[in-house]
Amino acid sequence: MAGWSILTNGSALDCVDDVINIFKGDGGCCLDSNHHAKDAEAKDCTAVDNSDEDDYECEDKVICLFDELVSKFLNEAAEGGCIRPIPALLGDGQSLDLFRLFWVVRKRGGFDLVNGFWSFVAKELGLDLQFSPTVKLIYIKYLYELEKCMSRSCKEEKIRKGKRQCDGNLSCSSLELEMQLRSLLLHGCDRKQEDCKFASEVYEKNGRYVEMDSGKGKMGLSDTKAVHRVHNGVGNRNCDYDKNFHAEKNNYFNDSDDDVVTLDPSIVKKEFNSRKRKRESLTRMLNWVIQIAKCPDDPSIGVRSPHFKWKDHKGNELWLQAIRAREALLHRRHCDPNIEQSLFQVCNMNFHDNRKMHPSMFEDVSVPSEHFAERSRCSKRLPALVKHHVRSCCNSCSAPQSKSTSPLKTVCENGLKEQEFAVDLSSKNATFDGSGDGHVRRHVAVGPLFQAEVPEWTSVVSESDSKWLGTRLWPLESENHNAVFVMDPIGNGRPSVCGCQLPGSVGCVRFHIAEKRIKLKLELGHLFYHWQFDRMGEEVSLRWTTEEEKRFKDMVKFNLLSAGKCFWDNKHKYFPRKTREELVSYYFNAYLVRRRSYKNRVTPKNTDSDDDETEFGSLSDGYGHEALVVPGAYMLICSENKQCTDFK
Amino acid sequence: MEDITGGASLPSTGTDAKKRRVTYFYEPTIGDYYYGQGHPMKPHRIRMAHNLIVHYALHRRMEINRPFPAGPTDIRKFHSDEYVEFLSSVSPQSVGDPAFGRQLKRFNVGEDCPVFDGLFGFCQASAGGSIGAAVKLNRGDADIALNWAGGLHHAKRSEASGFCYVNDIVLGILELLKVHRRVLYVDIDVHHGDGVEEAFYTTDRVMTVSFHKYGDFFPGTGHIKDTGAGQGKNYALNIPLNDGMDDENFRGLFRPLIQKVMEVYQPDAVVLQCGADSLSGDRLGCFNLSVKGHADCLRFLRSYNVPLMVLGGGGYTIRNVARCWCYETAVAVGVEPDNKLPYNEYFEYFGPDYTLHVEPSNVENLNSPKDMERIRNILLEQLSRLPNAPSVPFQTTPPTTEVPEEAEEDMDQRPKRRIWNGEDFESDHDEDEKPEPRFFNADAQPNNKTRDGVDTMEEDKKEHPGL
Repeated sequence: MAGWSILTNGSALDCVDDVINIFKGDGGCCLDSNHHAKDAEAKDCTAVDNSDEDDYECEDKVICLFDELVSKFLNEAAEGGCIRPIPALLGDGQSLDLFRLFWVVRKRGGFDLVNGFWSFVAKELGLDLQFSPTVKLIYIKYLYELEKCMSRSCKEEKIRKGKRQCDGNLSCSSLELEMQLRSLLLHGCDRKQEDCKFASEVYEKNGRYVEMDSGKGKMGLSDTKAVHRVHNGVGNRNCDYDKNFHAEKNNYFNDSDDDVVTLDPSIVKKEFNSRKRKRESLTRMLNWVIQIAKCPDDPSIGVRSPHFKWKDHKGNELWLQAIRAREALLHRRHCDPNIEQSLFQVCNMNFHDNRKMHPSMFEDVSVPSEHFAERSRCSKRLPALVKHHVRSCCNSCSAPQSKSTSPLKTVCENGLKEQEFAVDLSSKNATFDGSGDGHVRRHVAVGPLFQAEVPEWTSVVSESDSKWLGTRLWPLESENHNAVFVMDPIGNGRPSVCGCQLPGSVGCVRFHIAEKRIKLKLELGHLFYHWQFDRMGEEVSLRWTTEEEKRFKDMVKFNLLSAGKCFWDNKHKYFPRKTREELVSYYFNAYLVRRRSYKNRVTPKNTDSDDDETEFGSLSDGYGHEALVVPGAYMLICSENKQCTDFK
Repeated sequence: MEDITGGASLPSTGTDAKKRRVTYFYEPTIGDYYYGQGHPMKPHRIRMAHNLIVHYALHRRMEINRPFPAGPTDIRKFHSDEYVEFLSSVSPQSVGDPAFGRQLKRFNVGEDCPVFDGLFGFCQASAGGSIGAAVKLNRGDADIALNWAGGLHHAKRSEASGFCYVNDIVLGILELLKVHRRVLYVDIDVHHGDGVEEAFYTTDRVMTVSFHKYGDFFPGTGHIKDTGAGQGKNYALNIPLNDGMDDENFRGLFRPLIQKVMEVYQPDAVVLQCGADSLSGDRLGCFNLSVKGHADCLRFLRSYNVPLMVLGGGGYTIRNVARCWCYETAVAVGVEPDNKLPYNEYFEYFGPDYTLHVEPSNVENLNSPKDMERIRNILLEQLSRLPNAPSVPFQTTPPTTEVPEEAEEDMDQRPKRRIWNGEDFESDHDEDEKPEPRFFNADAQPNNKTRDGVDTMEEDKKEHPGL
C-alpha cells in the first residue's frame, strides 16, 4: 500500500510533485490518503487482528485464494479418480459455500475439535440440523485434506522461522488465513514437480530475507546471466525492503503487503526470466482495469482477478501487474518530461476516479523505490504493456536511468519515514544501478561451446546426401489430372458474388468451402490425403458425436487457463478414448473455427483471432461463453453440419 | 508492376518478375504438434499457411517435398551431444523424473520451451526441411527454397530458448557452406536472431544481419555495437529498432543496408528468416509492418537472383502468419495473389474481412527519422570497413554455385501455367549471367551518401564478374 500513500503524503518530493499535482489537480481523483493512512495504521498496530471488519476487507481475496487452492486439491483428487463437483451440493440440491464452511470449522479450531459437534456448524451455516452429516461429509471430502496440509505447512514454517508467530494450528484472522493460503499455494501442495520446486525455491529465498538473512541482495550475482542477475536483484531488493519493514514492526505481515512478500519474487523471477512470451496477460490486465473503472464496487472483481494465467501459484497477478504498470508509468514520467502528457492520460485513464475504485486496488504495494529502476531495464512484460497504450512513453527507456534513482529514492524515504532504511536502500540502489548501462545489454558468448564449427573454405565441394531432398510430392509424377478438369488460375481469390440465399452466412461459407475442397481433391488426387487436407477444417468434427462436442466445449469452459487450470490435464477425465492429437486437431480445426465464425458475425469488430485463451479467461467471463452457447447459433451450426459436409 | 516490386536486380532485367525455380518443404503432420494450452507458438499456423498456399494454387509453380527428418547425428553438427541426447529422449511423461530435472534447467527447457508430445519429431521436421532446402540450393536444383517450419533462430548450441529447440537455420547454413563460400543471413523477425548470430559470431563465412526490436525485449541481445569477434569482426550486423516500425521506415533501412551488404559481402547464398511477429498486431511483437511491407524484404532479396533460402520463424497472431507466409510464397513464385481469400478450411480465421492483406494498425511509430538516419549511417560505416568479399575474394565462383540467369518475362503477361513443370525452367538456363553490376537502381537509393558508395563499388565489381 505504500505506493500511493507515499505519493500523496510526499509533499517534499521533488520529481514526484508533478505526479501529485496531476492527481490532485484532477479534482479529487487522487487517492484518498486518509483511507490509506488509517489502513496503514491499523495494520501497523495489529499483530493478528481478529476483528471482523478487518477480516471482511480481505475476504474477497482470501476467498479467491481459497477457491484456487480447493480447486487444485480437487483436481489432484480427480486425477486419482475421485471427481468432486463444484459447487458442493447438499442433499436437497442447494449448494454449500465451501469457504464459509471452512471458515466456521477453522474458527472452531479445526476438524478435530469440531468433530462431534457438526450440528453447531450446520447451524452456524444457517442450515437445518438434518444436514449436519452431509456437512461433515462435504468437509471431509473437500476440505479436510486442505486443512491438514495447511496446519502442516504452518508447523514447518514455525520451525523454520522461530520468530514467526504461528500460534496453534489455526487462527481466525482472515489475514493470516490468507497468508497461509498463499504460502500453501506457493509452497506446499503443488504436485507438479517443476512448479513446486520453483515455487519453494522462491519461497525459500524469500523466507531467508524475512529472517533477516544478511545476504544483502548479492545472491543473484553469481548467476552468469546479466538478466538473471538483475532479476534477482529485484527480488532481493524487494525482500530487503521487506526485511526492514519487518524489523521495524517486529512481526510478520498480516496485511496485504504480504502479497508482495510472498508473491512478488516469484513473479519477478518469472517475468524476468529471459522469457519470450510476455504480453498475453497484459490485455487481460488492461481489461481488468477497465472493468474496475466501469464498476468499481463490483465485489466480483476481487474474485475474478487473482487467478493467474500461467501457473497456479501466482495469485493476484492482474492486480500486481496493474500496480506495476502504474509504477512504471510514473517512473517513466520521471525520466522524461516530454511524455508527461500522455502518461498523465494513461494514469488518468486507468486510475481515474480512484475514490470509487474497488478496495482491492488500494491494497498494495510495498514496491516503491528502485524496484522500478531495475524493472525498466529488464522487464519484458511491462514495457510492452506500456507501449500498448502509450507509445510515446517508450522513448525514454535507456537514457534516463541514472537520473531516475533519486526521485525514487525519495519516494522510498518518504514512504518509509525511516531515514536509516532509506540510506540502506539508496546504497543498494547505487549498486544495482551501476551494474547496467540502461538496457540489460547481453553480450554474445564466444568460445567453442557456443559457436558452430565452420570449416575453412576449400573449393572442394562435398556432396550432400540426397536423402535430404525428401519425398517429392508435387508435381505429381504420373497422373494425368488436368485433362478434364478446369482449374482455377493461380493466385485466384474467391468470386465476389455467390448465388447463396444468405451470402456470407455460415451456411454459405460452408457450402463454398466444401465446393472448393471437391475441386482441390480432383486436382491433388491422393495428395489431398497425403497433405492431410482430409483432416483440415470443420470436417474433423464429423468424427465426433454431438455429445462429445458438447463435452469438449465444457472441458474448455471449465478448465480455463486463466483459472490456473489446463484442460489437457483433465482430458482423460473427459475423453478417455481420444488421443491427444485428436483433441488438438479438433481444437484448431473445428472448435476455433466455430468460435471465429460466430464472432465474425456477432462481434465483427473483435478481430483478435488469437484470443483463444485471453478472451475466454478473464474478464469477459460471461461473454466468451455466451458466444458459444447461444442456442440459436449452436443449432444453426448443427443443422448445417449435415448439409454441407457429407460430400465426401 | 509498381514501384515496390523493383529491386536491385540487374538494370538490364528491368522487371523483377522473372521465374524462379522454387522448392517448398512441407511436413503434413506439422500442424498437429502442440506446445501446450495457451502457448503462443502454434505449429498449426504452418498448416494454415500451407492450406492458403494450396488454395491459391501456388503449389503449381513449385516443387513440393516432404522433408526427410533430421536425425540426432545431423543435429549434432551444431548442437552439443548432451543436448541432442536430452532432446531426443525427453517426453512429457519423463519430465517428472528427477534425472531430468537438472537437465531441464540446464538446457532451459520447461517454461518458454516446454516439453510437449512429439517435441523431437517437431525439431526433426523443422531441421530436416531447412537442411533439405540447403541441399536443394547446393545442387542447383532450385533458386529459392522455402521451409515455413524452419527459422527457429533462438536455439543455442546447448540450450533451448524462445520457443526454439533446434536451430534449423544454423544447420541449414552449415549445409550451404559446403558449397557456398559466403552465406548471408538476414533476419526480419521482431526478435533478435541471437542463436544464429552467436553460432557464426567468429566467422566471416557467414554474415548475419538482424532487424529487431531492441530495448526491454527478448532476448536482450542485438546491440548495434555487437558486430562480431575475431575473424568474424564486423560480420554481424544488428539493427536495433523501436516499437511501431512501419513499412516505409523498414524499407528505408532494409534496402540500403542490404544493398550495401550484397555489394560488399557478395554472398553466394542468402538465408532469409521471415519471422512474422514483426507484422502489425502480433501477439508478442510490437512492429507495425503490413504483409506487403514484410514481403518486400523477400522481394528485394529475390531480385538479386542469388540462391535464396526462405524460412519461417516467429509469428504469434496465427491468421496473419498464414497470410504473410502465403503471400511470401506467392512473391517467391512471382504471383500477385488476389486480395480476396479463396474459400479454404480455415476461412473463418480470417474474418470478418476474409482478405489477404490487413491494414496496419494506427500505433505511433517510435522510430524517429533521425534515429533511422543515425542507425543507417553507423551501419553503413561499419560495412564500409569490410574488405570486399572475404574468404578468397579474387577468385571466380566454382561452377556449382552459379545460378542460371532466367529469361525476362513479365508475370502478368505470361501464359497461365497449369502445373509446375520441371521443364518450364530448363529453357531459362541458356541465358548467360550478366556481368554488369547489379547494384544500381536509383529507386532503391535512400540518399546520396549510399549512392556514392555504390558508385565506387561498381568499379570494384567489374573486376570480378559473375557473382
